[in-house]
Amino acid sequence: MANLTDYQNDLRKIERNIAEIGSPSDTDRATRRAYGLYQHAALTGRLDEFTAAEAAIAEAFDQVGSWPDLCLVKANLDMKFHRLQGAKRALAMAPGLTESFPGRTVWADIHLQEGRYGQAKQMCEALIAENRTWDNLARLAYWESKFGRIEDAEVLYTEAEEEITAKEMRGYAWVQLQKGLLHLRRGRYEQAAVHYRRAADAYSGYWLVEDHLAELYGSQGKYDEAVALYERVLAENSRPELQQAFGELYAAMGEECEAEKWFDKALAGFLEASANGGVHYYHHLVDFFSDVREDASAAVAWGRKDFELRRNFGTEAALAWALYRNGHIEEADEMMDCALGSGVQDGHLFAKAATIKAAAGRSHESAQLSGRAFALNPHHQGFHVHRS
Amino acid sequence: MADHNDPNAVNTIFSDVDVSAADLYDLFGFPSADTAGGEKTVIALTMAAVPETGIFDSDMLYRVQMVAAPRVSWTGVEEQTLDTLLKYFSSVKDKYLSAYKAAEIRVTVDADGRAQLAFLRFPGGDFSKTVATNKVETITTPGGHSIKVYIGGREEAFFNDLPGFFRSINYAPQFYHVPQSMTEARELPIPKTLIELEGNYLFNFDPATPQWGKTMKKDLPPGPWTWTGDKFKKDENGNYRFVYDGEDARAGKNCNAIIFEIPLAFITQDTARNRIVNSWGESWVLKAAHKVETIPDEPFWHQHPWALLDGSHSDEQLKRYKLVDTDGLPFADAALSEREDNRQLGANNFWLAPHFITRLAHLGWGFGPSITALGLQTSFDHDNSPVSVHKTYSNPIAAFPRVRKTLFQKLNMPDDSWNPKGMKIPLRRAFEIFVPNVCATDMDTTGSWPFGRRPEDQVATRFLALFLDMEAELNGRKYHVETLGDPALWNSAPIVPETPPNPLKNDKEFLDHFPYLAEPW
Repeated sequence: MANLTDYQNDLRKIERNIAEIGSPSDTDRATRRAYGLYQHAALTGRLDEFTAAEAAIAEAFDQVGSWPDLCLVKANLDMKFHRLQGAKRALAMAPGLTESFPGRTVWADIHLQEGRYGQAKQMCEALIAENRTWDNLARLAYWESKFGRIEDAEVLYTEAEEEITAKEMRGYAWVQLQKGLLHLRRGRYEQAAVHYRRAADAYSGYWLVEDHLAELYGSQGKYDEAVALYERVLAENSRPELQQAFGELYAAMGEECEAEKWFDKALAGFLEASANGGVHYYHHLVDFFSDVREDASAAVAWGRKDFELRRNFGTEAALAWALYRNGHIEEADEMMDCALGSGVQDGHLFAKAATIKAAAGRSHESAQLSGRAFALNPHHQGFHVHRS
Repeated sequence: MADHNDPNAVNTIFSDVDVSAADLYDLFGFPSADTAGGEKTVIALTMAAVPETGIFDSDMLYRVQMVAAPRVSWTGVEEQTLDTLLKYFSSVKDKYLSAYKAAEIRVTVDADGRAQLAFLRFPGGDFSKTVATNKVETITTPGGHSIKVYIGGREEAFFNDLPGFFRSINYAPQFYHVPQSMTEARELPIPKTLIELEGNYLFNFDPATPQWGKTMKKDLPPGPWTWTGDKFKKDENGNYRFVYDGEDARAGKNCNAIIFEIPLAFITQDTARNRIVNSWGESWVLKAAHKVETIPDEPFWHQHPWALLDGSHSDEQLKRYKLVDTDGLPFADAALSEREDNRQLGANNFWLAPHFITRLAHLGWGFGPSITALGLQTSFDHDNSPVSVHKTYSNPIAAFPRVRKTLFQKLNMPDDSWNPKGMKIPLRRAFEIFVPNVCATDMDTTGSWPFGRRPEDQVATRFLALFLDMEAELNGRKYHVETLGDPALWNSAPIVPETPPNPLKNDKEFLDHFPYLAEPW
């Protein structure tokens, strides 16, 4: 029997755990089963698995009621799919859960998603002071990176690494990917590569690592390598955002027919999920209709939906761009000012802001923003994946 | 913004990290009966048998630290005050942090089952050895000393009624499925006690589910998790219900063990003066970063990791690992440090000294009244409370008067067998035992707890004896550390079941020769 990769080993372990539980007969088993299915889905990233996990959670709630750990799993699942109100409700279902350490961790993410940046940071810092877990150090690192404190972010990711043991290589690999992204978003490809390769060494066979490597290769113009990796990733996981990324790679290569095939699949996936009540692809749809297959009014419609769901610099900037694409320059300008007012530091955002400012007749600001975009990432106009 | 790839994609909501290999069980320390060639001390560190009995996790590093020191006892001349106590702790802290330079033996086991041992900071200098696991090996040191080593699987040497102990402290996770997210649901705010409280349905023995707390758990009911009663529970015959049943919860189980028999002359150059071997153990797990670090791809390094180790690099070695667990005294963690991760300070638990005082008082308010109810004398001042009380203290000043006797009284031994040479060795006092958190083996004794710890010592029962008044008498004999282990006491006590709290013997006979712990099942 061939050696399994680390990723495969972890999946087998989770599958064995779920199989051992069988039909859950008590709170503990029901929770562990639901959690196991969630873990498996989080690892594979497959949307159908998340659906199964959600069904198991609902079944467990019927069986055992609002057991706090189950509520926590539900809250995390909701957060993953941008269902912020759902996450809040899940936390509120179990007395004391909101105030608990893991409950407050979820709330730190909610604050960030809803644009309460200061509160998100304070909460992260308080959680770290209470118990220095690697994931909260990583959360704080992410926060710092978004607001331009890259060195602080790197230090925090390194501190997160220090808290991760050899029993948590998947976590270590993930932190390496975040470190790599810090460099990639600054156009520092070689440094990004170092971290991505370290992630691959740490945790073998993980599609997420290959996805990040594919983006890096695409950014560097190493198209053959990027295509090979995307094909492998998509064989494992056919999420529409991965399909869109693959399409954009082909577009960058000038292969429009291939690109369109993948865009068709991506769009179908986005729309199907949204038609089924999912809200997690709203921001992808804004982006898709703004820049991939231009339909500006559709972009604005999806943009407003996402903005209503969670108001933060990401949704503000996306809506601003959609409005610009739809010719609503003044409104676009105002919305982009909201995004810029957060203090976010992002090359792609600055580039779009520069374009909007120029259209709004604010050429001086436009030039400044262009300069800042270029300073942050000289390659910001090249191939990249929309991860946030 | 916080895309689909957030930490929760990889971070488990509930820790499913297998830390069992790092879970230390016990530390034994006693003088070896084999004095051929000189005095020797036995130090045995046991841990969870993970991944299997006799197989060690290659990501782990274990440290057995030791320092030999003179026998120092509190003179008793000073007043028994909190100030005296804190000064004593401070003086011990200074010794450990400056004067004492602990030596250590570091142990890692590779994927092939070979154990790499590094002997550091011993008087004869640093050196390393590789030994096979699961067999007794003898190492010859550069100075010519012979050290016996056993790194492998053994029968689990701890024998106690663990569910009974957890019942006595109302520890929810033993009896209930407790949400991992609800960390406050551990020791519930119900008085500790040795005998059941009337109406304490959350923990009292349930004849309908005799395996509750042993092989099965119930779902934690909604709160409040308190007790509003005012008396101990009595049956129709007027007997109290013991929270213990004396059964060995660890029977039939195995552990992994790191066992040394070390000449005292190897540990200290002044064997005449340094009669106490203080030892403690630690478990460390490799950090992820160092599992993938780009080290030279040379077979020599992989096979001889200690070759690059010298005094200046030893801290560099340890920086690659993360401390997980510590072990010194039995029950220092479970009973006194309340199992909190941030209290895993090992020998350096001086900073916890005020906490120990308040914690001991908290336990005393529970155990003390229940000892009195059984007709025994307690060392704890509970103002003749007719029932156990749940009381906590925020500072040691208020707590101290209640536990003064508990802390300062000499702990009587059952007979003189612990002192085979008949030397003038003072009996130990509780405050001397728990700070620092080490196994202090007195080489002029048999090492019977608290003068060390021998495998056959029933330390769980001896710990409870701290709450007995050592000046009181039972059948003409002063109370001692084994009083609560005497079946005759329980046979005449108004209690069911009539049993000492913990088993009197291990389920398997210990060996009378190295490695002393029994063969695994």
